[in-house]
Amino acid sequence: MLDLVLLAFILGMLALGLRRPFIWVLTYLYIDIVAPQKIGWGIIQAIPLSFIAFIAAFTGWALFDSKEGSRFTFRQGLILALLLWCGWTTLNADFPVDALTKWDWVWKALIFAIFLPLTLRTKLRIEAAALVMAFSVGAIIISGGIKTILSGGGYGTLSSLVQSNEGLYEGSTLSMVAISVIPLFLWVARHGTIFPKSRWTILFAAGLIFAALLVPVGTQTRTGLVCIAVLGVLMLRSVKNRFLYAGLGAVALMAAIPFLPQSFTERMETISNPEGDESASTRLAVWQWTIDYVGEKPLGGGFDAFRGNSFTYRMRIEEGTQDNSRVRYEKVTDEGRAYHSSYFEVLGEQGWPGLVLWLWIHGLGLWQMERIRRRMKARETPEEKRWYELATALQHGQAIYLVGALFVGIAYQPFVFYLVALQIALASLLSRKTSAKPKFAPKRPGKKVTEPTASSSPGEAPA
Amino acid sequence: MIDYFTIALTHGLIAVAAWRLLFRDDLDSDREVDATDEAHGRTAGKRADKVGSDDA
Repeated sequence: MLDLVLLAFILGMLALGLRRPFIWVLTYLYIDIVAPQKIGWGIIQAIPLSFIAFIAAFTGWALFDSKEGSRFTFRQGLILALLLWCGWTTLNADFPVDALTKWDWVWKALIFAIFLPLTLRTKLRIEAAALVMAFSVGAIIISGGIKTILSGGGYGTLSSLVQSNEGLYEGSTLSMVAISVIPLFLWVARHGTIFPKSRWTILFAAGLIFAALLVPVGTQTRTGLVCIAVLGVLMLRSVKNRFLYAGLGAVALMAAIPFLPQSFTERMETISNPEGDESASTRLAVWQWTIDYVGEKPLGGGFDAFRGNSFTYRMRIEEGTQDNSRVRYEKVTDEGRAYHSSYFEVLGEQGWPGLVLWLWIHGLGLWQMERIRRRMKARETPEEKRWYELATALQHGQAIYLVGALFVGIAYQPFVFYLVALQIALASLLSRKTSAKPKFAPKRPGKKVTEPTASSSPGEAPA
Repeated sequence: MIDYFTIALTHGLIAVAAWRLLFRDDLDSDREVDATDEAHGRTAGKRADKVGSDDA
């Protein structure tokens, strides 16, 4: 039954795309985020949905879509360079078979991140992509949120729509994405034109945000809690009355603690006391290993190069009751431990050149969004407020990711690259509009100034 | 049951959004919208009588 519903939905979307091919791009976004082929049990698993949607999206753009306003930006060039570099390291990987498995999904994410901004050439398309991304993540987190309320969740046990712990459905990744998409929920509800702002959009956004905040509780991931803290600090930039906001936030937190499951609070306490936690001890050891590794191989070891690591360290173990506890240190040997950090993941796998490209892609995004914020802040038209807030949402989402990524190996997470693609599209659209607008001409009294008409030839250089 | 509710709600909204996009001219081009905005003085608060809408 579920299979049929999902298939009917996808077929419906593909049919709508016959009239407006851009809807195929939205369909691909939805399929890539929600992974409906994993939700269903029967026939839907056998159909290469993602492939069909990608071919439809690309063909629709190449054959039927106007290229007016499409342009290839420097940042897309950086993603392309990263893609090519990843291809080269895959060919020379330490573990060719494992590297090829990871390459198999990474290249698709990067290619689509390069392609997406070419299609997002109007304001409405940017909004539509933001909406589909928000609602697709919403599909996963509403389910996760409700299940958390009903069952309390558990580390590695909360299953949202899918009973799997991979991709976006992996606990830490889902926590990070759920929190980083909160600013986008708010933007879609407040500045949408497809669903114009109403009490319903605000109510729905409030529900989504509540569900998103519950995901780190349900998955009991420490990364999620760190991401919530980052979001709280970032929101201070946007709120009018910061002291009131900080006070209310503290009260809300105090009120929420008694309702949190005990297992959650116990796990979160290990953030401040990482000594007795193997996960935390391993991280430090893997990071040290990675630095030593790129010292020998500065060009990286290709995807999954971590499989070659092995290290022994002493871990503190506390035994007995609180009043009569005994501490002993045990030697632990680990082999093939994952990076547990996106920065070290890129460094180990792609070496210094890969890390520079990756940081450049993200750093430039933060900077571009900040430039838009500064440019739009002084202006007071609804249109400019709208783009100011989208730039803020995309910047904050990315900042949350970059902090969460310190502790989770999600350097190539497709959803994040789609956020990057939205940033590229927004920056490109606004620079086009600025360059297309008539330049300011001082009017002399008594002389009528004829303003030039707006033009937007595709060949114009970005401002 | 929870999954059915979630899927019905979010997929329903995405489907409605896609349906509404079919009837929006500004999906494929911003030009007409910009011209209309300018004509109503919505962009940058400028008087629009100088910028004609004949460039749309």
